[in-house]
Amino acid sequence: MTTAATETSAPGAIPAPAGGATEAEDLAAPLYVAWQITNECNLACLHCIEESGPGKAFADELDTAQVYSVIDQLLEHEVPYLSFSGGEPMLHPQFFAMVERACARGAQLKIETNGHYLSADNCAQMKELGVKAVQVSLDGAAAASFQKMRVRGSFDTTVQGLRNLRTAGVPVEINFSPARFNAREIGATVDLAYELGAYSFYTGRTMYTGNAVKAWRHLQLPDEEYETFFAVLREKAEQYRGRMRVYFHEAGLLDELRYRLQHPAALLIVLPNGLVKLINALPFICGDFRRQSLPEIWANFRRAWQDPRVAEFVDALAADPGKTRTLHEWVYL
Amino acid sequence: MRLAKYVKFREEKFGAVLFETRSEKVFTLNPTGTAIVREIEAGADETAIAARLKARFDDRDAAIEREVESFIADLRQRGLVEG
Repeated sequence: MTTAATETSAPGAIPAPAGGATEAEDLAAPLYVAWQITNECNLACLHCIEESGPGKAFADELDTAQVYSVIDQLLEHEVPYLSFSGGEPMLHPQFFAMVERACARGAQLKIETNGHYLSADNCAQMKELGVKAVQVSLDGAAAASFQKMRVRGSFDTTVQGLRNLRTAGVPVEINFSPARFNAREIGATVDLAYELGAYSFYTGRTMYTGNAVKAWRHLQLPDEEYETFFAVLREKAEQYRGRMRVYFHEAGLLDELRYRLQHPAALLIVLPNGLVKLINALPFICGDFRRQSLPEIWANFRRAWQDPRVAEFVDALAADPGKTRTLHEWVYL
Repeated sequence: MRLAKYVKFREEKFGAVLFETRSEKVFTLNPTGTAIVREIEAGADETAIAARLKARFDDRDAAIEREVESFIADLRQRGLVEG
């Protein structure tokens, strides 16, 4: 008899991938479903991958019966980890009903929010329903940098929301997107995250896609500044070891995609209209919850990674890194 | 003894996965490890788990008890079980 518990995945990036060397091929269902439940958002962030914003909800977002059906399927197939993001997920008209339905059946649910709707009452409700964690975007240690990135946003409201989460006892994660104007605040933002009670801090490289294409001259961080940025993070990771996990993803997009071609993460990304993306940084659609069941989508997801068009797109990205601007021109596999 | 609060267990053809959702780490289990975690989920203690596995597996070299103890210690050390 031999026993084994083998750790097989790298810690999360943004969004945190689950799976790693636990090959999707080996699994009966995904390990993680990252669900963008609406594209509507109160903010219009410079770097938003999804091009979310006020009035930007998709016309064909899933209706109540459809979202319940998706939740039920995910739980029936024992998907262990689920996140709701957006847009701003708390603007979804059924947000708390969805949270309740997922948590009542034992889902480990994370909410990824801009932090503007984290009133004391809402935080208490999330605690009561059993939300596993709330990840809040905090792109700076001060109002000026934060609000430059988070157009229409309020630093003070976000920080108060974080304090409300802590008071309610909801575990907090912080997400930081670097840009030319906020990268030097990374150390101070990590410190602030700890002060606000976060148990994890995530960051990586900001991607040239979505709203970032238009705002790139404000966002683009030269390689030498990324070196400094990651050096600070290495120091902070050491400083907070055992108290707050500081996770940063240094690899560039191309390295990540080449790795994923060989080792697809067991992660589905669900769009507000039920379409399922192969991975956030590629334009490929591999399923549709309006027409297909989770097992059908999962089977197609695993096949789709072998489709030659996927590897061809990654090769094309190597030749033209700016091709990420076309990620919203969906290709159905 | 029970699985830690943020740990999810799912059986697979090859055995099972344990997903620690705070650190977002996934652990794969072989069939024997799966049998042990299944017993933990059912509320069995270490002694009972070893006894049940002895009844199911060949234990000619009397290793089961030691291996169960070592495996559970490993799970504890990784924060996957508590209590």
